Amino acid sequence: MTKRYREIGKAGWSYTLITSLVGLIYFSPVLWIILTSFKTRTDALAVPPKLFFTPTLDNFASVFYRSSITTGTSQATDMALYFFNSIFIAGTSVGLALIVGTLAAYAFSRYPLRGNDTYLFIILTTRMMPPIVVIIPIFLMFRLSGLAGSYWGIILLYTAFNIPFSVWLVKSFFDELNPEIEDAARMDGASEGRVFFRFCIPQILAGLSATFVFGLILTWNEFLFALLLTGVETRTVPVAMARTLGGEVGVDYGLLAAIVTLFLLPIFFVTFLLQNQLLRGVTFGTVKK
Amino acid sequence: MSELRVKNLRREFGSVVALQDMSFEVAEGEFFCLLGPSSSGKTTTLRAISGLEDLEQGVISFDGQDVTNAPVQNRGMSMIFQTFALYSHMSVEANLAHPLQRDGISQSEIKKRVGDVAELLRVSHTLKRKPTTLSGGEQQRVAIGRAIVRRPKLLLLDEPLTNLDAKLRHEMRAEFKRLHRELGMTMLYATPDQLEALTMGQRVGVIENGKVVTVGTPRDLYCAPDNLYVARMVGSPPINILPAAAVRNDQFQLSFLQSSLEISSAPDGKKLAIGLRPHDLVLAESDITGGVRFSVKIKLTEPLGDVTVFDLAAQGADLKMVLREEVAAQYDVGDEIEVAFDPKNLHFFDHAGGQRLSKE
Repeated sequence: MTKRYREIGKAGWSYTLITSLVGLIYFSPVLWIILTSFKTRTDALAVPPKLFFTPTLDNFASVFYRSSITTGTSQATDMALYFFNSIFIAGTSVGLALIVGTLAAYAFSRYPLRGNDTYLFIILTTRMMPPIVVIIPIFLMFRLSGLAGSYWGIILLYTAFNIPFSVWLVKSFFDELNPEIEDAARMDGASEGRVFFRFCIPQILAGLSATFVFGLILTWNEFLFALLLTGVETRTVPVAMARTLGGEVGVDYGLLAAIVTLFLLPIFFVTFLLQNQLLRGVTFGTVKK
Repeated sequence: MSELRVKNLRREFGSVVALQDMSFEVAEGEFFCLLGPSSSGKTTTLRAISGLEDLEQGVISFDGQDVTNAPVQNRGMSMIFQTFALYSHMSVEANLAHPLQRDGISQSEIKKRVGDVAELLRVSHTLKRKPTTLSGGEQQRVAIGRAIVRRPKLLLLDEPLTNLDAKLRHEMRAEFKRLHRELGMTMLYATPDQLEALTMGQRVGVIENGKVVTVGTPRDLYCAPDNLYVARMVGSPPINILPAAAVRNDQFQLSFLQSSLEISSAPDGKKLAIGLRPHDLVLAESDITGGVRFSVKIKLTEPLGDVTVFDLAAQGADLKMVLREEVAAQYDVGDEIEVAFDPKNLHFFDHAGGQRLSKE
């Protein structure tokens, strides 16, 4: 087969220019927010918006420390805790969903049940309605069981939300694998556990990374359930962000933008770390093995 | 005594019967080929013998023991898969070492044996690389190495050459014969390619619909096929089959011949299928004295380099013949030529059942 792809940079200036323009349009809201986070309140509210200004880090400082109006002393906000909550809750629930989902996906892929597809369909039905439909029963269940406001409550809920997605995605990766490799490992004397951990998992690491990142993004940004089911101690950043909007002194756009910018960083970081894997993950199976 | 006996295997996939009454035996140290078209049950047979496939019915005994229900790992067999099935996330060295790791062999011994096998198969220079960076032939040799490094008593080969190009296939056929001679292990080789079966197999079992229909040496299968199916499977270009009927107790008529020919064993009125190998059809004027002559028209020529296959139209039948290139060059499509065959070279089969009818 002849190579269809030329070297990077061979597409020519016109294509590169168009692509970067489209890229800029997509990125402009994010860029806007990042710029705003470095502006003073006056600059942030200026009409027309300022592209050139003297940057300040005040907004970032006031995310974590705010001077009290009455006493004038600097006081720590709870934002650090909320960032920890977001990372802990999203990371744990997506990780758990990935573990459970991978095991289930392997079973669905390798040991199909009678009516395998029906079960897979049932799993998917949980994603077919908007989450708001179930919010009242879930809220009542959480209240009754005492899970409301606890870490485990919201982690369990997010895990449950992420499992269908993980099962489906990871199953497609397992389906793509060459089963003869597993048979070869068995003939070489590998146990079933070894076949799974040493031969199947390493082959789909890219897919697992992609699944993890997609799940993480969904969970990271989740607002509705977090608003209703987290307490003061377990509040996540999206909820805290919304609360800064309701101040008595009007909306502090600079502060808000600083929170959003900080909020973007972990996802940027994870995606950056896994980007090579990600690209392989989303194109898994589309290229000849 | 590492002989393999396979008896009455039956395997169903839903409503599809993959194996039915599959039986054959392989002697110790033998190179045995299973020849059959795709989805005739070759792979299922090998997988059943290796233990990767469960059976509805049947007995597999190996090395004097019933292994029908023995775990995959304890059967002392190895398998080479059609896709090579190399561990793409491990180095070549780790691929080769993997089968040895469970046997409690010391690291130095593993290293030595991996080195030996790599040398035997000429892949020593690739040990540190990942399998995906190797060429098809190298991947194939690594797959062989991984299968033989544990010195199995039986090596199962499932269409191992299917994924290689023609030149490599040729090389690897010789390689397999060499390995068989040097290692002396019993080999069971499944292939849809009659050429592979004939060139490598000491004996060949021909499979039809999940059942071995004939076992014989390559020579037996080519020269005296047991039935029509085998006659068609073996030989390239494929045998010419001419429908005919026995007109009297001892004679039959071919559509393109004026006179009828004699056969001793067909009863009156029986429908026959008469086989004639393309190589047994020759030019009338030069290559044969006597024999049965008739004229044909050349429909198509397929030059293969050293020889050319002619597609011929006779009255009421299409035939193929093979001519040496320098002879073939004198003729062209549309030419009428006179061809002949020796009636001794005809193969007679029952038209309905396909069994061979002996001819004296």
